[in-house]
Amino acid sequence: MEPKPQNVWGAPHTSWFFAMGVGGALFINRALFGIELGRIFGMTVADLLSMILIAIGGLILIGDLGKPLRVLRALLNPRTSWISVGAIADFVFLVLAGLWVIADLEWQGARPFAGLPWAGNSPLGIAFQVIAGAAAFIVIVYPGLVLAASPSIPFWNTTLIPLQFLSFAFASALGLALIVALWLPVPPALLTAWASAEILLLAATLLLFLAHLLHGTTSHTTAKLSVDRLVKGELQGPFIWGTLVGGLLLPIFLALYASLAASPAPQLLAISALLTLPGNWLSKYTVIKAGSYAPFL
Amino acid sequence: MPRWGMVIDISRCVGCYACTVACKVENGTPPGVWYAPVYEKEVGSYPTAKRLFLPTLCYHCKNPPCMKACPTRAISKREDGVVLVDPNKCCGSRACVAACPYGALTFVEEIKGEFGAELTPWEQARYPQNDGVGTVQKCTFCAHRIDQGNLEPACVQTCPTRCRIFGDLEDPGSEVSKLIREHNGTQARPEAGTDPSVFYLR
Repeated sequence: MEPKPQNVWGAPHTSWFFAMGVGGALFINRALFGIELGRIFGMTVADLLSMILIAIGGLILIGDLGKPLRVLRALLNPRTSWISVGAIADFVFLVLAGLWVIADLEWQGARPFAGLPWAGNSPLGIAFQVIAGAAAFIVIVYPGLVLAASPSIPFWNTTLIPLQFLSFAFASALGLALIVALWLPVPPALLTAWASAEILLLAATLLLFLAHLLHGTTSHTTAKLSVDRLVKGELQGPFIWGTLVGGLLLPIFLALYASLAASPAPQLLAISALLTLPGNWLSKYTVIKAGSYAPFL
Repeated sequence: MPRWGMVIDISRCVGCYACTVACKVENGTPPGVWYAPVYEKEVGSYPTAKRLFLPTLCYHCKNPPCMKACPTRAISKREDGVVLVDPNKCCGSRACVAACPYGALTFVEEIKGEFGAELTPWEQARYPQNDGVGTVQKCTFCAHRIDQGNLEPACVQTCPTRCRIFGDLEDPGSEVSKLIREHNGTQARPEAGTDPSVFYLR
């Protein structure tokens, strides 16, 4: 028996994982660090964008199901199924974040929902944010845990994958802040802090990918085959150039260059951040496509 | 309660594919869905070249990763160890397909005739039973046959070389238990921790 490349998961799953990851990290970045990305109709852009991205991820997931009308059944097995856990977290996040955000709505100078019991920083509002934040965290990591829990595909069978998803999600979400900073008045000190955090997150992500490659090379012959497909096979272009170089090394270099200047160059930081987005998507796509079933006898 | 299992003696398999075809007829699986495929491989070179055959099926694991991965609880394990997919509960997430180390589950994207768009009378009669487009299908150990009491799975009954032997793994006196014990039967990918109910003899 020979190792067999998996063909169950592909581009739709990549887009689902990507959207959920960036969406979840946007919400947490706003809740913990106040990175709002501006306001529209009184509501923070970061919250709105996070809900849109997670909803898009959910719709991709539903659209990919063989029986989309049975989606609610996917909530039934959270004890052992990470997809079930993630589906529940998606719903919890969208409901609570939605309720919390709508309280801030401004329309023609008025705030029609300001009287809601969870509006502003009321105890209920804080509780909504905490629960939604926890759900957002699950939304970021559960796709990685779906892959890592699979005993069939040795290259996926590692906790390094959810860690990669986590760090790349936060790097991409912070990257969106750096892009939006082109149009918003962000103090240079804050921009420098964001750039430093971005560099650290990207460097951590790069290390996680290198650790994953090393783990794959040493852990299992089929995982080594997956590594070979990534570094010298048909996935070499999108992985080496799209993810490692274009999505991580080059953005790190550009962000370093931009932040070492006397005053940080927002345009350069925005370009650096922009590169991380396709890099993030390609990293997930290539890791998913590189997965191969080990020979079973 | 028995734990149904199977022993496959690879040295006896002649690669006739009778098991594969018997399964297809018994279960009426649509084109592209094979519950009991036989893989083959050429090894060595002339004059010692030979062809090896590996009959497979769902291994009805004691710890089925497919069941754990399924978000809808469509996959269940009976008390006798038979692992089944309920097509009425499956949402087609394919998480089970990715989780199974043995490639035993197939996602049915469409059902079309083996000989073109128009279904043959046999297909018309059989495919409605398997109206599973958008769901996952797999070997049932012919649960409908073993539940009758004295029938073996179709692949076992058909095999001309007695390469496949079916029985109760919990009964130390059963033929399968004796074969596993005496011939050192091995499970596929034991490191995956799934404890398959199918053992191979080499």
